[in-house]
Amino acid sequence: MGKIGSVRRGRMLAVAAAGALVLSACAPSDSGDDAGNGGTGGTGASAGAAGNATLTVWSWRVEDKAAYEKIFAAYEKKHPGVKVDFKAFKATEYNKILATGLAGSGGPDVPQVRSYGQLQTTVASGSLVPLDGKVDVSSWDANSVASAKGKSDGRLYAVPFARQTVQMFYNKRLFEKNGLQPPATWADFMKANITLRKTDVTPIAVGAKDDWTLPIVHEVLAAPRFGGKAFADAARTGKTSFTDPAWVDSVKVVGDLKQYMPKNVTGVAQTDAQTLFSSGQAAMIPGGSFDLSVLQKPDPTLQIGVFQVPPPPGSPAGSSATTPGWADGNFAVSKKSKHQAQAMELVQWMSTPEFGQMVADEIKQISAVPGVTYSDPLLKQMNDAYTKNGSPYLLLTDFRYGAPSGTDLMGKGVQQLLLGQKDAAGVSKDLDTGIKTWFKPSGS
Amino acid sequence: MRRRTSLLFVAPALLLFGVFVLYPMVTAFSYAFFDWRGTTRSDFAGLANFDALFSRAPFTTDLPRALGHNLLFFLGTMLAQNTIGLGIAYLLYRRDRTRRVLQTLYAMPYLLSPIVIGYLWTLLLSPTFGPVNTLLTKVGLESWAVPWLGRPSTALWVVVLVSVWQWIGFPVLLYGAALGGVPDDLTEAARVDGASPRQTFFRIVLPLLVPAIGTVTVLTFIFAMEAFALPYAVGGSTGNPAGATDFVSLLFYRTAFDSGATDAIGTSSALATLLFLLIFGGALLATWVLRRQERRITG
Repeated sequence: MGKIGSVRRGRMLAVAAAGALVLSACAPSDSGDDAGNGGTGGTGASAGAAGNATLTVWSWRVEDKAAYEKIFAAYEKKHPGVKVDFKAFKATEYNKILATGLAGSGGPDVPQVRSYGQLQTTVASGSLVPLDGKVDVSSWDANSVASAKGKSDGRLYAVPFARQTVQMFYNKRLFEKNGLQPPATWADFMKANITLRKTDVTPIAVGAKDDWTLPIVHEVLAAPRFGGKAFADAARTGKTSFTDPAWVDSVKVVGDLKQYMPKNVTGVAQTDAQTLFSSGQAAMIPGGSFDLSVLQKPDPTLQIGVFQVPPPPGSPAGSSATTPGWADGNFAVSKKSKHQAQAMELVQWMSTPEFGQMVADEIKQISAVPGVTYSDPLLKQMNDAYTKNGSPYLLLTDFRYGAPSGTDLMGKGVQQLLLGQKDAAGVSKDLDTGIKTWFKPSGS
Repeated sequence: MRRRTSLLFVAPALLLFGVFVLYPMVTAFSYAFFDWRGTTRSDFAGLANFDALFSRAPFTTDLPRALGHNLLFFLGTMLAQNTIGLGIAYLLYRRDRTRRVLQTLYAMPYLLSPIVIGYLWTLLLSPTFGPVNTLLTKVGLESWAVPWLGRPSTALWVVVLVSVWQWIGFPVLLYGAALGGVPDDLTEAARVDGASPRQTFFRIVLPLLVPAIGTVTVLTFIFAMEAFALPYAVGGSTGNPAGATDFVSLLFYRTAFDSGATDAIGTSSALATLLFLLIFGGALLATWVLRRQERRITG
């Protein structure tokens, strides 16, 4: 009996402790009640004479730490008395850490903040200094600038630092070996797929197990089919919706190309798809400019090219191939920074071509600052394609301001399409219904 | 005096529990009753955040689905752990030479992080490069070489099996200890009375193991309802493919950190509170039922 009694007590304790742990693990770490009340910004900040300060910059780009240190060393040289302390945190934990840092004490003076919908939580917290009239971004790409604005008040809260584009990467050697050229028409594109499928090479590597990749795959393969930028403008103002036949047909394009993707595509992870491409077992992969280094790393001799997928049949008259893109991250000034003037000066510098050029040269990213030149030929080609005929990566730039987000719905929907659970019309209808639960057209 | 001294010994643990468990728990509970603008608390919202969980997208579709997966995960792991775990423990029972070694081997995966286990099984089951499907194809079972984690019909059960594979050592140890507590004179008497080994197991040993079965069941329930790391490693935060491996904890994670909604803290805290109440209530109910069962057996 005594043994049973101790088992009971142990069980009750286990129940209580485990239950308590679930709730405590779910608890946000700081209420942020005192946001905007002043406080102690800047970890380790050492305020000195006027103009002297140690500015803390927070970022989620751990991999760019060395490059940023080089960039800020150049800034420190031109701004005597100012030191910049760059701290990088794990990307997956950054949102949580930043929310705590900005709400409490010991946060950054200049935080790297997310873009578009994911910026809104930080803006709503009142943690950032508005930059209207302090930073001139009037000549910048409007799509990039929109990423740094508050949705409810339309004010500018940050300076975009990098731009990502999505396009088709291809293996130049495999194309040459099979007598293929980067396609100029949809017929060329299909000819390449058919030719490559006859060999032991997978034509298009897609990692459909990871749903976040699928809205990108859709943009790369079919953006001209739904009308690219023109459709984006109409959708954000409520003049059209995702049940529009043009959008439905663009989703169908992805389903029709399944036969050229890896076998059992919904079981293939994105890392597997990238390995297929890097090892020469796949000839093409739809991806972002951020994928370039990942694709090049396993085999630096791999000859990679990029192209825009030509408009599929049925695309609106006059539409041409397009390069979808979005701004990927911004820098802002924390309201709690004790060094407002110096922090503002640093963020203003981040909007100059000098900083933009360093982003291109040191971080190997497409800068959001206009007029930057690129020594890397692929980076240059991707930037030129976006500048010449870019369109917003619509579901990310305009339909991520609420839950369920456009990208989540589309990711799941395309998985269902590839699994044969839904057709293109069903996927589009789910997307439309999900978004309409929170989306309000601009100007309405 | 003795009471005071004992309090002194308990105080450090109580303080840690209070600061790191109780305080955040109560705080999270309170967050659920307010409106939020980012990390700034706004007006008192009453039960609006809880109401949103039952009336607003994506919760109206995702919450019942995720909860269903949690329950299937519990049923699957419970059945497998209680049958396979007890079976292994019974086979090892009285094998003095090999028992310790085998118990240790069965408990080995238990030492690894579920994130690592999930990642390893993702690699093993990859339809492109994974050795499992290659092996199945080589031995002529090509029809079995399916994308295990890419099909909604198999993905959840893979998560169940991987979880059982990882945690099976725990019930083996627990049942091993419980079997050691079954009095020899009872089994001897049964044998003398002519009971077959089967009868001895089902009539003598199994009823005496009910407290241990109860403990494993309750702990499995708690574990299954709060499952996060393994499903996250296998199917990501959205429960790939097409939500087939979605769990309530993943929905919480998406709501709190991925949604982009400015009121995320309120709704995610309401979800956390709901999950806590479900686990706490379910575990208490299960404990009560099992305790009654024990009383009936032990008279």
